[in-house]
Amino acid sequence: MRIEARNLGWREIVRGVSVEIRPGETFGLVGPNGSGKSTLLKLLAGLMPRAAGEVWLDGAPLSQLSRRQIAQRLALVEQFADTGEALSVRDAVDLGRTPWLSPLSPFGPADTQIVDRALAAVGMEEMAARAWATLSGGERQRVHIARALAQEPRVLILDEPTNHLDIHHQLALLGLVAALPVTVVMALHDLNQAMMCDRLGVMSEGRMVACGKPAEVLTPDNLARIFRVRAQPMIDPSDGSTLFRFLPMETSA
Amino acid sequence: MTRRAALSALAVPVLSRAGLGAVLLALAVLAGVTIGEVALPLGLVGDLLAVKLLGIERALDPIDAGILWSYRLPRTLVAAACGAGLALSGVVLQALVRNALADPYLLGVSAGAGAGAVAVTLLGLGGGAIGLSAGAFGGAASAFLIVALLAKAAGGGPAQLVLAGIAGSQLFNALTSFFIAKSANAEQARGLMFWLLGNLSGVRWPDVSLALPVVGLGFLVCLAHVRPLDAFSFGSGAAASLGIAVRRVQLVLIAAVTLMTATLVSLVGSIGFVGLVIPHAMRFLVGPRHARLIPASALAGAVFLIAADIASRVLIAGQVVPIGVVTALVGAPGFALILIRNRRRP
Amino acid sequence: MPILPLIPRRSLRAALIAAPLLAAGPALAQTAYPLHLSNCGAELTFEAAPASVVSVGQAATEILYALDLGDRVLGTAVWFSSVLPQFEAVNAGVPRLADNDPSFESVVSLRPGLVAVQYEWHIGPQGIVATREQFADLGIPTYVLPSDCIGKDNSIGSDGTRLDLYSMDNLYRGIEELAQIFDVPARGTALVEALRTREAAAIATAEALALDDASAVFWFSSAEMDIDPYVAGQGGAPAYMMQALGLRNVVDSNEEWPVVAWESIARANPSVIVLARMDRRRFEADDIERKLEFLRTDPVVSQMDAVREGRIVILDAHGMDPSIRNIDALETLSAALAGFDLQ
Repeated sequence: MRIEARNLGWREIVRGVSVEIRPGETFGLVGPNGSGKSTLLKLLAGLMPRAAGEVWLDGAPLSQLSRRQIAQRLALVEQFADTGEALSVRDAVDLGRTPWLSPLSPFGPADTQIVDRALAAVGMEEMAARAWATLSGGERQRVHIARALAQEPRVLILDEPTNHLDIHHQLALLGLVAALPVTVVMALHDLNQAMMCDRLGVMSEGRMVACGKPAEVLTPDNLARIFRVRAQPMIDPSDGSTLFRFLPMETSA
Repeated sequence: MTRRAALSALAVPVLSRAGLGAVLLALAVLAGVTIGEVALPLGLVGDLLAVKLLGIERALDPIDAGILWSYRLPRTLVAAACGAGLALSGVVLQALVRNALADPYLLGVSAGAGAGAVAVTLLGLGGGAIGLSAGAFGGAASAFLIVALLAKAAGGGPAQLVLAGIAGSQLFNALTSFFIAKSANAEQARGLMFWLLGNLSGVRWPDVSLALPVVGLGFLVCLAHVRPLDAFSFGSGAAASLGIAVRRVQLVLIAAVTLMTATLVSLVGSIGFVGLVIPHAMRFLVGPRHARLIPASALAGAVFLIAADIASRVLIAGQVVPIGVVTALVGAPGFALILIRNRRRP
Repeated sequence: MPILPLIPRRSLRAALIAAPLLAAGPALAQTAYPLHLSNCGAELTFEAAPASVVSVGQAATEILYALDLGDRVLGTAVWFSSVLPQFEAVNAGVPRLADNDPSFESVVSLRPGLVAVQYEWHIGPQGIVATREQFADLGIPTYVLPSDCIGKDNSIGSDGTRLDLYSMDNLYRGIEELAQIFDVPARGTALVEALRTREAAAIATAEALALDDASAVFWFSSAEMDIDPYVAGQGGAPAYMMQALGLRNVVDSNEEWPVVAWESIARANPSVIVLARMDRRRFEADDIERKLEFLRTDPVVSQMDAVREGRIVILDAHGMDPSIRNIDALETLSAALAGFDLQ
């Protein structure tokens, strides 16, 4: 599903962002803290009130769809979502089926299967009966992603999904996400991981200042200017992919 | 967790669970009707039902039968409605504001009702034409309006609603105290105190025909929203991304809760702790999913308040303890348990 | 609880009656000053009759008027109903400080020689106007009607709790002491005599009926129409009236005006129901018409014998509190009983 932002803005935090994300692509969003990444993701999901600009899904404006219709197409995983309720892991993932349920089609065996698949995809199927309160940060993150997967969206929006995960699960998640046939828009902190996306958008002070393939966008110049860091590109001889070694900015000698 | 898994493993079908609930409620009503300052025999209940429902001729002592039919039965039914309504309101508000301490009186409704009742009684607002109850309802509605406007002006989220509710409650409680201090003599003050602490003694059939439909409607509205209520578990943002029309759902549910609470408070005064403690107790027994929590809380609330009403009448011989005192005596320790249990989580 | 020494009433009365006989000439009996009184836990001393008085409480006011002391009253407060018709003229000339509780300063600013008080909860240990000490500090003595403190504990129950049955003697003592204070003891004696005579007559009328287990309930008012009513408990003026006339009070409580469920009253099925008529309209049930309507239409209460047989007596509400109106009430009740067919 194609998702397109036209001149999106929200107060001073996001200003005039226009970008077109192609169906099935994995689009990474990078930028320093406070550059407006989280807000842009929420704008794409249509969750910010009184937003400027428009979002179009497959050629139809978001504003013409009901919340339920949006939720059937698009799932958002936020950074900090917690609950005080005594939910189990399965309870939390079951919630992902909400946009598909109605009095006429209540939760049924097909839904249970979808939830099972989502749990398996994030490697939480053994812990389905565990209480939310007993989970670690990383486990909770994976449950949130499973919930989003259970929504069976065609666009998956993730706000820094790898934040609390250990390296094994980070890589597993990135691999999972890349393999999904859905369009993925992902905010990332780790610039090396960002290199694995199809395309990247770079945010700085609310504007998207660069957009394109990772190699084109993450140039040492851009990195110095936007991220204020010195980047030393290195090539991995085994597959020729580029990684960066990051060093502090040189002070004038 | 295992306890709940075990309960659901018993897989008692929904219909028979509902049947069990109905039986429990019927027993509670029976107890409420026969136990009181004077115990009425069960045989009388049977005779009365025969007369009223089947039209069979029976010789009944008019006063005993009158007490049972015109005093005790309406009182018990309203107690049930009140308990159910307050518990439901508690469940809904705790889900919406995502705070375990949310209570139907959080919205300032109870304080407003008190101020309205006092204004009518002490200041003679309405010149004796408006009764306590009408004044209470007007006060409740006004208080909630003010709280809602204040919350909106403060930004409109659940935290703002809670804070606005606290501010509103303080304001109206202060007004109530002011009115009482300014104009009441001891007897009037006592009459109001009794009412403010919850009083079911004046309940008659017309009150039943108000309380039951209002609570029934509220129950249906809550049942229709069990999935949205579940969706709020991770906040209104998550609920929106799950396809819930957040503002509309909040509006409908808060309107339902306000209507229920204002009606109930205007009928029987301020009865606390039910909306706070019953939802938590039920979460412990049937889990946090609202499809089970809503009916369970309504039932438990109804039975609890009937029991509290019975207790209020028999605790001290020859005297009626205000029902709000009884619910507080049970609710406060219950509340303490909630706090302790919640603290154990990391 | 302070122990109140009882003035030997008989010997005082004897002395007062005897005094004019013993004195040479037509001189009226007079108070011997300095006058020492024990009054509701306070010791009072009067060097002379006070020149003026502020009266806080309709009962105290009407006693002062009955003792012909209206010209010395600077101001009145706390009114429950219109003043007795025979005192209307006098009362018209007296400023009213407040219909309800007066402020401390409004009383003090009049610089009265005495403050006469009906209820301790106005001026007393927890007085909402002031404590007696506050007045004493300014050199103003306060006199509380003994009917509000003898045999009564005002710290328990909203209107206080009667420890002993109220007795008209307490009221008479208040009348006589006030008369003494104002150096008109003969008027006090005369008033008390008149009241006693009427009291005895009313009791005799009732005794003649030879009632056998007749019972009654006094309904004052209710916070809401259908709610548990305020009824007279054991020990107050209504209880005294019932006992004097041979009626059993169906209400057990020691509180002055306890709240009792209609359920219990209906089951007790009193022979007579006494209703309070008042001018106040704070509660729906204040209106005597609403009370009567309730008795007629409530499904349980309307089944009581007293309602079906029409054995309902209406008394002035203020006559149910200790005051000279108790005698009016007693007479009305007694006459009504004679009219009922009570056996």
